[in-house]
Amino acid sequence: MTALLEVRNVSRFFGGVKANLDVSFSVEQGIVLGLIGPNGAGKTTLFNCITGFYPPSSGEIFFEGQRINGYPPDKVCKLGMARTWQKVRPLAKLTVLENTVVGALCRTNSVAEAQRIALEQLRVVGLEGRAPVLAGGLPIGERKKLELARVLATRPRMILLDEVMGGLNARESEEIIQLILDVKKRGLTQVVIEHDMKAIVRTCDRIVVLNSGEKLAEGVPQEIVNDPRVMAAYLGDSGGAKA
Amino acid sequence: MAVFLQSALSGILIGGVYALTGIGLTLIFGVMRVINFAQGELVMVGMYCTFWLFVLAGIDPFLSVVLTMPALFLLGALLQRTLINRVLDALPQNQILLTIGIGLVLSNTAMLVFTSDYRILSTSYSSSSVALGVIRLSTPLLFCFLITAVITAALYWFLVKTDTGHAIRATAQDRDAAQLMGVNVRYMGVLAFGLGSALAGAAGALVAPIYYIYPQVGGAFTLKAFVVVVLGGMGSIIGAALGGILIGMSESLAAVYIAADMKDLCVYVIFLLVLLLKPSGLLGKSRM
Amino acid sequence: MRTLLPWAVAAVVLALVPLWVQSPYALHIFILLFIAIALGESWNVIGGFAGQYSVGHAAWYGLGAYGAFILLQRKAIAPWFGVWVAVAAAVIVALAVGWITFRLRGPYFVLASIAVAEIIRLAALNWKELTNGAEGILAADVPPLRLGGTVITDWNSKTPYYYMGLAMALFCIAVNFLVKRSKLGYYLQAIREDQDAAHSLGIPLTLSKNTALAISAACTALAGSFAAFYVGFIEPQGVFGIEVSIQMVLTCIIGGIGTVAGPVIGAVVVVLLSEALRASLSSAHLLVYGVLVIIVILTMPDGFVGFIAQRLRRKAAPA
Repeated sequence: MTALLEVRNVSRFFGGVKANLDVSFSVEQGIVLGLIGPNGAGKTTLFNCITGFYPPSSGEIFFEGQRINGYPPDKVCKLGMARTWQKVRPLAKLTVLENTVVGALCRTNSVAEAQRIALEQLRVVGLEGRAPVLAGGLPIGERKKLELARVLATRPRMILLDEVMGGLNARESEEIIQLILDVKKRGLTQVVIEHDMKAIVRTCDRIVVLNSGEKLAEGVPQEIVNDPRVMAAYLGDSGGAKA
Repeated sequence: MAVFLQSALSGILIGGVYALTGIGLTLIFGVMRVINFAQGELVMVGMYCTFWLFVLAGIDPFLSVVLTMPALFLLGALLQRTLINRVLDALPQNQILLTIGIGLVLSNTAMLVFTSDYRILSTSYSSSSVALGVIRLSTPLLFCFLITAVITAALYWFLVKTDTGHAIRATAQDRDAAQLMGVNVRYMGVLAFGLGSALAGAAGALVAPIYYIYPQVGGAFTLKAFVVVVLGGMGSIIGAALGGILIGMSESLAAVYIAADMKDLCVYVIFLLVLLLKPSGLLGKSRM
Repeated sequence: MRTLLPWAVAAVVLALVPLWVQSPYALHIFILLFIAIALGESWNVIGGFAGQYSVGHAAWYGLGAYGAFILLQRKAIAPWFGVWVAVAAAVIVALAVGWITFRLRGPYFVLASIAVAEIIRLAALNWKELTNGAEGILAADVPPLRLGGTVITDWNSKTPYYYMGLAMALFCIAVNFLVKRSKLGYYLQAIREDQDAAHSLGIPLTLSKNTALAISAACTALAGSFAAFYVGFIEPQGVFGIEVSIQMVLTCIIGGIGTVAGPVIGAVVVVLLSEALRASLSSAHLLVYGVLVIIVILTMPDGFVGFIAQRLRRKAAPA
């Protein structure tokens, strides 16, 4: 069965800096793939390549069998891949509802229909009570949830979550973990960048480890957690993993 | 051939003034990331100061530069402390609008106080020229360029050889890091805006014997300063110096070879082309 | 629909004003107000909603003005037809300019917009065969407006201009209303808040910005043609000059960008203050603009409307 997302020998250079080198993996429909690695491993760069913010310097990316190298971000979103941001990006002067409507408008031209979809997603993440609040005034936990609601409103086939638990306390992280598991039950495929190893182990079916831009290891959580190379990569520099 | 050399050289000479104005602008941008749309109006203030010093006290414009520069420095510092400082964290578009407002206030106040009459500052050597082989170069223009060179050299020395100069450059490179190193970045902002204004004032003083003096003359200087800075690269002083000379030369050659009233048009077209093709400029380290 | 009620009431009241007010000066002030409102609302679409601060909108104003004037002058095409041709021309130029300049961000876009307007102004100044250069064009006699066989107006008093101005202002306000509630409006505001995030949510950046610019340029050109015919004379500095662009931006900033009511409030403040100080300031009336913009940027960058909205929000949620 063809993978939903296939990353083949992707490299990305910025001048002389090799941010990604020859990275390959595939993501089957319906799984949660964890993408981990110490800071600076090239995880966000990979996301940016996949979602079209810049093309890979070499290699190919396939989504649903279609080669999407060089597609702009809006086209990638319309194809069914949506991403969240490491540093949250709320549309500050718009309300929580309006933020989500923007996402929903990806699939409909009717604002009324988009509002309906938006409210539904806000209910999923638990923010429907905050609908009229300006996004700029939300605390970090709610901003992360808003971003999730916003990408879900675009009716994606796959979502890429970039450190969606970064900066959250234990309770907030737990809520996000539940959301990831709920979203998985609804059939969405997910790729999750995270530093919180407990969360990764609980949510992911498979894990890809990046280090210094290259793929270091791939396997099920049990394998990865016990892999000495992975531990060396994290302990070798001040990674940030909470195992 | 003589015509080409003549106009190219004259262009380079006047380009020095554009460079001065541009250096001021780029200094302000480099240190505070503020785009000062009132730079041309500060030149205008410098022109009027010079004019009145000449008319009322008989001081030669090329000498009164030493008075005009400190005066404009104080004006710039005052503007920074009272107005600019408050918008350092605002949207860049709002910062631009604020400086546009300041420019409007300066030019219209000049209109109220001095009327819109064109003034001419003529000295004994206003129409004399110096011969260089087959070429004749206007004397005021020559003095203008020489003093510009001196001021630019002094500024360069200040930035590279003094502690304060280092502090300014540090703030321009990385504000937070500089602050962590003990640099008083608030003060650097005041200094930068003051210096930028002083340079504009110097440009005004040097150009007063050459151009008509009237309240709206600032607008053209602002736009030219922007062309210079974008061409040279936002934040690069050497770039602004080069840019000024290039623009001066292009303008002069366009006036001779295309049409006199098309020279401004040519400069703006160059501007658009640079913005579109290489927005970081020749030597720029800008981030868009 | 409740939000439409105050607008409807105001429209009806304003429509009845000429029945009670005969003073040509008062009607003149109203007409200036309608023009300022139309221009503010036009700029709001691209500057307020999309966050692209063009300080070169005089380009479309002037193209509208010159287009309609030249068509009347040379081809004897009545203004009510000529205007639409001028508007179309302005939109085409705007789209070309947008295609080139929208890749620039923030202050660089501002600079490019100023350069474009200046280039067009200098072109108008120098292309003397077409535009008469600095001497400008005096409006040829505008033919009487006929419907069927009857003459509706001779354009000899202020009243017909009053009603046209009112209709134009209401039209531009309506355009703002419709855009704000539409998919385009949501997309533009998303672009304004965070362009990259917007892009990643499926928003086509260039298409959205260019659509907004086309709408904005069309309305601006319409207002420009109208204003030109009202004044009766145009020359490059007056219609392409940066003061025209600045006034449009100011009207929105003072009132509140990105809102429908903001430009109306801004227009009222700007026009009334200008007129009140005209005697003492004469040619320095822009001083008022300068002072106003400084005060507004420092104390209420979201304009009057934004300031009041903030107060109301604080009262509603004291937490």
